[in-house]
Amino acid sequence: MSPLSIQNEFDRSAGALDAEDTLRLIASLPAPQGLEDRVKAGLHSAPHRAKIIVWPFSSVEGGRWMQSAGMRAAAAAAIVLVIAGGGWEVYSHIQPAALPTAVSSPQPLNGSGGFNAAGAKRVPQTPEGPVVATPVISKEKTQEGDGAVIPEKHKKRPTVMKSGGPIPVVR
Amino acid sequence: MEIVESAVRDEARQQAEEEALAALVDQYATTLYRVAFSVLRNQSDAEDAVQEAFLRVLRHRETLGEIRDHRVWLIRIVWNIVLDRKRRSKTRPETDDIADLSRVLPANGLTAEDRAAAAQHHAHVLSCVEQLPAREREVMMLSAFEELSSVEIASVLRVTESSVRSRLFRARNLLAELLHHKRSTR
Repeated sequence: MSPLSIQNEFDRSAGALDAEDTLRLIASLPAPQGLEDRVKAGLHSAPHRAKIIVWPFSSVEGGRWMQSAGMRAAAAAAIVLVIAGGGWEVYSHIQPAALPTAVSSPQPLNGSGGFNAAGAKRVPQTPEGPVVATPVISKEKTQEGDGAVIPEKHKKRPTVMKSGGPIPVVR
Repeated sequence: MEIVESAVRDEARQQAEEEALAALVDQYATTLYRVAFSVLRNQSDAEDAVQEAFLRVLRHRETLGEIRDHRVWLIRIVWNIVLDRKRRSKTRPETDDIADLSRVLPANGLTAEDRAAAAQHHAHVLSCVEQLPAREREVMMLSAFEELSSVEIASVLRVTESSVRSRLFRARNLLAELLHHKRSTR
Protein backbone atom coordinates (compact mmCIF):
# COMPACT_ATOMS: atom_id res chain seq x y z
CA MET A 1 0.00 0.00 0.00
CA SER A 2 1.40 3.36 -1.00
CA PRO A 3 1.82 6.12 1.59
CA LEU A 4 -0.75 8.23 -0.27
CA SER A 5 -3.44 5.58 -0.04
CA ILE A 6 -2.60 5.02 3.62
CA GLN A 7 -3.01 8.73 4.17
CA ASN A 8 -6.36 8.67 2.32
CA GLU A 9 -7.57 5.75 4.40
CA PHE A 10 -6.51 7.53 7.54
CA ASP A 11 -8.36 10.68 6.46
CA ARG A 12 -11.48 8.72 5.75
CA SER A 13 -11.42 6.97 9.10
CA ALA A 14 -10.77 10.27 10.81
CA GLY A 15 -13.74 11.76 8.98
CA ALA A 16 -16.04 8.98 10.13
CA LEU A 17 -14.84 9.31 13.70
CA ASP A 18 -15.33 13.04 13.44
CA ALA A 19 -18.90 12.50 12.31
CA GLU A 20 -19.57 10.15 15.18
CA ASP A 21 -18.20 12.75 17.56
CA THR A 22 -20.71 15.23 16.20
CA LEU A 23 -23.57 12.78 16.67
CA ARG A 24 -22.39 12.02 20.20
CA LEU A 25 -22.20 15.71 20.98
CA ILE A 26 -25.76 16.26 19.82
CA ALA A 27 -26.96 13.17 21.65
CA SER A 28 -25.49 14.48 24.88
CA LEU A 29 -27.00 17.96 24.72
CA PRO A 30 -28.85 18.71 27.95
CA ALA A 31 -32.63 18.87 28.06
CA PRO A 32 -34.22 22.27 28.71
CA GLN A 33 -34.99 23.23 32.29
CA GLY A 34 -38.36 22.23 33.65
CA LEU A 35 -39.05 19.63 30.97
CA GLU A 36 -40.35 17.07 33.47
CA ASP A 37 -42.73 19.57 35.07
CA ARG A 38 -44.14 20.60 31.71
CA VAL A 39 -44.65 16.98 30.70
CA LYS A 40 -46.39 16.20 33.99
CA ALA A 41 -48.62 19.26 33.62
CA GLY A 42 -49.54 18.08 30.14
CA LEU A 43 -50.39 14.63 31.46
CA HIS A 44 -52.60 16.10 34.20
CA SER A 45 -54.55 18.19 31.73
CA ALA A 46 -55.05 15.26 29.35
CA PRO A 47 -58.33 13.31 29.56
CA HIS A 48 -57.64 10.31 31.75
CA ARG A 49 -60.16 7.70 30.82
CA ALA A 50 -62.76 7.21 28.15
CA LYS A 51 -66.25 7.92 29.39
CA ILE A 52 -68.47 4.87 29.69
CA ILE A 53 -72.19 5.29 29.16
CA VAL A 54 -73.94 3.92 32.21
CA TRP A 55 -77.28 2.16 31.81
CA PRO A 56 -79.58 4.49 33.74
CA PHE A 57 -82.04 1.83 34.94
CA SER A 58 -79.51 -0.56 36.32
CA SER A 59 -79.48 -0.83 40.05
CA VAL A 60 -76.30 -1.04 41.99
CA GLU A 61 -76.70 -4.76 42.49
CA GLY A 62 -77.57 -5.08 38.83
CA GLY A 63 -74.25 -3.58 37.96
CA ARG A 64 -72.37 -5.93 40.25
CA TRP A 65 -73.70 -9.28 39.15
CA MET A 66 -71.96 -9.01 35.78
CA GLN A 67 -68.62 -9.02 37.53
CA SER A 68 -68.97 -12.73 38.22
CA ALA A 69 -67.33 -14.85 35.52
CA GLY A 70 -70.03 -17.54 35.66
CA MET A 71 -72.82 -15.02 35.16
CA ARG A 72 -70.98 -13.41 32.31
CA ALA A 73 -70.63 -16.80 30.61
CA ALA A 74 -74.33 -17.55 31.19
CA ALA A 75 -75.33 -14.19 29.70
CA ALA A 76 -73.11 -14.76 26.69
CA ALA A 77 -74.57 -18.24 26.20
CA ALA A 78 -78.11 -16.84 26.41
CA ILE A 79 -77.31 -14.23 23.77
CA VAL A 80 -75.82 -16.88 21.49
CA LEU A 81 -78.91 -19.08 21.96
CA VAL A 82 -81.30 -16.26 21.15
CA ILE A 83 -79.39 -15.31 18.02
CA ALA A 84 -79.04 -18.92 16.86
CA GLY A 85 -82.73 -19.63 17.56
CA GLY A 86 -83.81 -16.59 15.63
CA GLY A 87 -81.63 -17.58 12.73
CA TRP A 88 -83.04 -21.12 12.71
CA GLU A 89 -86.59 -19.74 12.87
CA VAL A 90 -85.98 -17.64 9.80
CA TYR A 91 -84.17 -20.44 7.99
CA SER A 92 -86.86 -23.04 8.64
CA HIS A 93 -89.61 -20.81 7.20
CA ILE A 94 -87.89 -20.17 3.94
CA GLN A 95 -88.99 -22.54 1.17
CA PRO A 96 -86.62 -22.62 -1.70
CA ALA A 97 -88.22 -21.94 -5.06
CA ALA A 98 -88.30 -24.82 -7.58
CA LEU A 99 -85.49 -24.63 -9.98
CA PRO A 100 -86.52 -24.19 -13.62
CA THR A 101 -85.92 -27.27 -15.75
CA ALA A 102 -84.93 -25.33 -18.82
CA VAL A 103 -83.98 -21.80 -19.41
CA SER A 104 -84.77 -20.36 -22.81
CA SER A 105 -82.83 -17.45 -23.97
CA PRO A 106 -83.12 -15.66 -27.30
CA GLN A 107 -80.38 -16.40 -29.69
CA PRO A 108 -78.40 -13.50 -30.92
CA LEU A 109 -79.08 -12.54 -34.53
CA ASN A 110 -75.48 -12.10 -35.34
CA GLY A 111 -72.59 -13.77 -33.75
CA SER A 112 -70.76 -10.58 -32.94
CA GLY A 113 -72.65 -10.07 -29.69
CA GLY A 114 -73.87 -6.77 -28.42
CA PHE A 115 -77.46 -5.61 -28.55
CA ASN A 116 -80.00 -6.95 -31.00
CA ALA A 117 -83.62 -6.22 -31.84
CA ALA A 118 -84.79 -9.68 -30.71
CA GLY A 119 -86.80 -10.12 -33.91
CA ALA A 120 -88.73 -6.88 -33.61
CA LYS A 121 -89.38 -4.88 -36.80
CA ARG A 122 -89.49 -1.21 -36.76
CA VAL A 123 -92.48 0.28 -38.52
CA PRO A 124 -92.17 4.00 -38.96
CA GLN A 125 -95.14 6.04 -37.91
CA THR A 126 -96.36 8.06 -40.87
CA PRO A 127 -98.81 10.85 -40.15
CA GLU A 128 -102.00 10.95 -42.22
CA GLY A 129 -101.75 13.81 -44.63
CA PRO A 130 -104.63 15.84 -46.21
CA VAL A 131 -106.82 13.82 -48.48
CA VAL A 132 -107.71 15.54 -51.74
CA ALA A 133 -111.21 14.59 -52.75
CA THR A 134 -111.71 14.21 -56.45
CA PRO A 135 -114.84 16.08 -57.57
CA VAL A 136 -117.59 13.82 -58.83
CA ILE A 137 -119.42 15.26 -61.82
CA SER A 138 -122.86 13.90 -62.34
CA LYS A 139 -124.25 13.21 -65.77
CA GLU A 140 -127.17 15.67 -65.39
CA LYS A 141 -124.88 18.66 -64.91
CA THR A 142 -122.81 17.87 -67.79
CA GLN A 143 -125.86 18.01 -69.98
CA GLU A 144 -126.65 21.68 -69.03
CA GLY A 145 -126.12 24.40 -71.56
CA ASP A 146 -123.39 26.56 -70.11
CA GLY A 147 -121.60 23.57 -68.82
CA ALA A 148 -121.05 25.13 -65.37
CA VAL A 149 -121.12 22.84 -62.51
CA ILE A 150 -123.75 23.74 -59.95
CA PRO A 151 -122.98 22.61 -56.49
CA GLU A 152 -125.33 20.13 -55.02
CA LYS A 153 -126.77 22.49 -52.40
CA HIS A 154 -127.75 25.14 -54.93
CA LYS A 155 -129.67 22.74 -57.04
CA LYS A 156 -133.38 23.06 -57.24
CA ARG A 157 -135.03 20.28 -55.57
CA PRO A 158 -138.25 19.03 -56.98
CA THR A 159 -141.07 19.68 -54.54
CA VAL A 160 -142.61 16.47 -53.72
CA MET A 161 -145.85 16.14 -51.85
CA LYS A 162 -146.08 13.77 -49.12
CA SER A 163 -148.79 12.06 -51.02
CA GLY A 164 -146.32 11.49 -53.70
CA GLY A 165 -147.46 13.88 -56.51
CA PRO A 166 -146.06 17.33 -57.44
CA ILE A 167 -147.54 20.46 -55.75
CA PRO A 168 -149.56 22.56 -58.21
CA VAL A 169 -148.36 26.10 -58.69
CA VAL A 170 -151.09 28.84 -58.44
CA ARG A 171 -150.64 31.91 -60.66
CA MET B 1 -70.26 -1.43 51.56
CA GLU B 2 -68.74 -3.47 48.81
CA ILE B 3 -69.22 -0.58 46.38
CA VAL B 4 -67.39 1.82 48.62
CA GLU B 5 -64.49 -0.62 48.88
CA SER B 6 -64.41 -1.01 45.09
CA ALA B 7 -64.40 2.76 44.57
CA VAL B 8 -61.58 3.13 47.06
CA ARG B 9 -59.68 0.35 45.31
CA ASP B 10 -60.13 2.01 41.90
CA GLU B 11 -58.99 5.33 43.26
CA ALA B 12 -55.94 3.77 44.87
CA ARG B 13 -55.10 1.95 41.65
CA GLN B 14 -55.43 5.15 39.63
CA GLN B 15 -53.22 7.01 42.06
CA ALA B 16 -50.61 4.25 41.87
CA GLU B 17 -50.65 4.42 38.09
CA GLU B 18 -50.24 8.18 38.15
CA GLU B 19 -47.32 7.88 40.54
CA ALA B 20 -45.69 5.26 38.35
CA LEU B 21 -46.12 7.50 35.31
CA ALA B 22 -44.68 10.48 37.17
CA ALA B 23 -41.70 8.35 38.14
CA LEU B 24 -41.19 7.39 34.49
CA VAL B 25 -41.29 11.06 33.50
CA ASP B 26 -38.71 11.95 36.15
CA GLN B 27 -36.46 9.10 35.15
CA TYR B 28 -36.62 9.10 31.34
CA ALA B 29 -37.90 12.46 30.07
CA THR B 30 -34.34 13.75 29.55
CA THR B 31 -33.25 10.65 27.66
CA LEU B 32 -36.33 10.77 25.47
CA TYR B 33 -35.76 14.46 24.80
CA ARG B 34 -32.19 13.80 23.67
CA VAL B 35 -33.34 11.01 21.36
CA ALA B 36 -36.01 13.26 19.92
CA PHE B 37 -33.64 16.19 19.52
CA SER B 38 -31.03 14.10 17.72
CA VAL B 39 -33.57 13.44 14.96
CA LEU B 40 -35.66 16.62 14.91
CA ARG B 41 -32.89 19.05 15.94
CA ASN B 42 -35.41 21.53 17.25
CA GLN B 43 -36.06 22.11 20.94
CA SER B 44 -39.80 22.69 20.87
CA ASP B 45 -40.42 19.85 18.41
CA ALA B 46 -38.39 17.49 20.58
CA GLU B 47 -40.31 18.54 23.68
CA ASP B 48 -43.61 18.00 21.88
CA ALA B 49 -42.46 14.53 20.89
CA VAL B 50 -41.64 13.67 24.51
CA GLN B 51 -45.03 14.94 25.60
CA GLU B 52 -46.75 12.83 22.95
CA ALA B 53 -44.78 9.76 23.99
CA PHE B 54 -45.92 10.07 27.61
CA LEU B 55 -49.49 10.70 26.51
CA ARG B 56 -49.36 7.40 24.65
CA VAL B 57 -48.07 5.76 27.80
CA LEU B 58 -50.94 7.31 29.74
CA ARG B 59 -53.44 5.83 27.29
CA HIS B 60 -51.93 2.36 27.70
CA ARG B 61 -50.94 2.60 31.34
CA GLU B 62 -52.71 -0.67 32.13
CA THR B 63 -49.92 -2.43 30.23
CA LEU B 64 -47.13 -0.79 32.21
CA GLY B 65 -46.82 -3.81 34.45
CA GLU B 66 -46.18 -6.09 31.48
CA ILE B 67 -43.21 -4.08 30.19
CA ARG B 68 -39.85 -5.56 31.08
CA ASP B 69 -37.54 -2.70 30.10
CA HIS B 70 -39.28 0.64 30.40
CA ARG B 71 -36.33 2.60 29.05
CA VAL B 72 -36.10 0.73 25.75
CA TRP B 73 -39.87 0.65 25.46
CA LEU B 74 -40.11 4.43 25.92
CA ILE B 75 -37.23 5.08 23.53
CA ARG B 76 -38.99 2.94 20.92
CA ILE B 77 -42.19 4.97 21.37
CA VAL B 78 -40.46 8.32 21.04
CA TRP B 79 -38.31 7.01 18.18
CA ASN B 80 -41.41 6.07 16.19
CA ILE B 81 -42.98 9.45 16.94
CA VAL B 82 -39.97 11.45 15.79
CA LEU B 83 -39.49 9.36 12.66
CA ASP B 84 -43.11 9.90 11.78
CA ARG B 85 -42.80 13.64 12.35
CA LYS B 86 -39.59 13.81 10.36
CA ARG B 87 -41.22 11.95 7.47
CA ARG B 88 -44.07 14.43 7.41
CA SER B 89 -41.92 17.53 7.69
CA LYS B 90 -39.63 18.77 4.97
CA THR B 91 -35.90 18.24 5.11
CA ARG B 92 -34.17 20.79 7.27
CA PRO B 93 -31.85 23.11 5.40
CA GLU B 94 -28.26 23.22 6.60
CA THR B 95 -28.58 26.91 7.53
CA ASP B 96 -31.27 26.04 10.08
CA ASP B 97 -28.98 23.45 11.60
CA ILE B 98 -26.14 25.95 11.88
CA ALA B 99 -28.35 28.53 13.56
CA ASP B 100 -29.89 26.06 16.00
CA LEU B 101 -26.61 24.35 16.80
CA SER B 102 -24.80 27.60 17.50
CA ARG B 103 -27.54 28.34 20.03
CA VAL B 104 -27.46 25.01 21.83
CA LEU B 105 -23.79 23.97 21.60
CA PRO B 106 -21.85 24.36 24.85
CA ALA B 107 -19.63 27.42 24.90
CA ASN B 108 -16.62 25.81 26.67
CA GLY B 109 -14.74 29.09 26.63
CA LEU B 110 -14.88 29.40 22.84
CA THR B 111 -15.16 32.72 21.12
CA ALA B 112 -18.26 33.57 19.11
CA GLU B 113 -16.33 32.95 15.90
CA ASP B 114 -15.12 29.56 17.04
CA ARG B 115 -18.62 28.60 18.05
CA ALA B 116 -19.97 29.64 14.67
CA ALA B 117 -17.26 27.64 12.91
CA ALA B 118 -17.96 24.60 15.08
CA ALA B 119 -21.67 24.88 14.41
CA GLN B 120 -20.99 25.06 10.68
CA HIS B 121 -18.77 21.98 10.85
CA HIS B 122 -21.37 19.99 12.80
CA ALA B 123 -24.13 21.06 10.46
CA HIS B 124 -22.04 19.91 7.52
CA VAL B 125 -21.51 16.52 9.16
CA LEU B 126 -25.21 16.22 9.88
CA SER B 127 -26.06 16.96 6.27
CA CYS B 128 -23.81 14.04 5.30
CA VAL B 129 -25.57 11.82 7.86
CA GLU B 130 -28.89 12.81 6.28
CA GLN B 131 -27.65 11.43 2.96
CA LEU B 132 -27.18 7.95 4.37
CA PRO B 133 -29.82 5.32 3.64
CA ALA B 134 -32.54 5.29 6.30
CA ARG B 135 -31.56 1.98 7.91
CA GLU B 136 -27.91 2.88 8.26
CA ARG B 137 -28.71 6.40 9.41
CA GLU B 138 -31.05 5.20 12.15
CA VAL B 139 -28.51 2.76 13.53
CA MET B 140 -25.78 5.38 13.44
CA MET B 141 -27.89 7.95 15.27
CA LEU B 142 -28.94 5.53 17.98
CA SER B 143 -25.38 4.28 18.42
CA ALA B 144 -24.38 7.82 19.38
CA PHE B 145 -26.27 7.33 22.64
CA GLU B 146 -23.73 5.83 24.94
CA GLU B 147 -26.34 4.43 27.27
CA LEU B 148 -27.76 2.24 24.49
CA SER B 149 -26.09 -1.08 23.82
CA SER B 150 -26.30 -2.80 20.45
CA VAL B 151 -28.86 -5.23 21.91
CA GLU B 152 -31.02 -2.32 23.02
CA ILE B 153 -30.67 -0.60 19.63
CA ALA B 154 -31.78 -3.86 18.05
CA SER B 155 -34.76 -3.93 20.38
CA VAL B 156 -35.72 -0.34 19.53
CA LEU B 157 -35.48 -0.99 15.80
CA ARG B 158 -36.96 -4.51 16.09
CA VAL B 159 -34.06 -6.12 14.23
CA THR B 160 -31.39 -8.58 15.22
CA GLU B 161 -28.20 -7.51 16.91
CA SER B 162 -26.09 -8.80 14.01
CA SER B 163 -27.99 -6.62 11.56
CA VAL B 164 -27.36 -3.64 13.84
CA ARG B 165 -23.66 -4.35 13.68
CA SER B 166 -23.60 -4.80 9.93
CA ARG B 167 -25.66 -1.65 9.38
CA LEU B 168 -23.34 0.31 11.62
CA PHE B 169 -20.33 -0.94 9.71
CA ARG B 170 -21.91 0.08 6.38
CA ALA B 171 -22.97 3.44 7.81
CA ARG B 172 -19.42 4.26 8.94
CA ASN B 173 -17.97 3.38 5.55
CA LEU B 174 -20.59 5.34 3.66
CA LEU B 175 -20.22 8.35 5.92
CA ALA B 176 -16.46 8.32 5.56
CA GLU B 177 -16.81 8.25 1.79
CA LEU B 178 -19.32 11.08 1.79
CA LEU B 179 -17.17 13.28 3.98
CA HIS B 180 -14.05 12.49 1.97
CA HIS B 181 -15.87 13.25 -1.28
CA LYS B 182 -17.14 16.58 0.06
CA ARG B 183 -13.69 17.55 1.29
CA SER B 184 -12.07 16.72 -2.03
CA THR B 185 -14.68 18.72 -3.98
CA ARG B 186 -14.31 21.80 -1.76
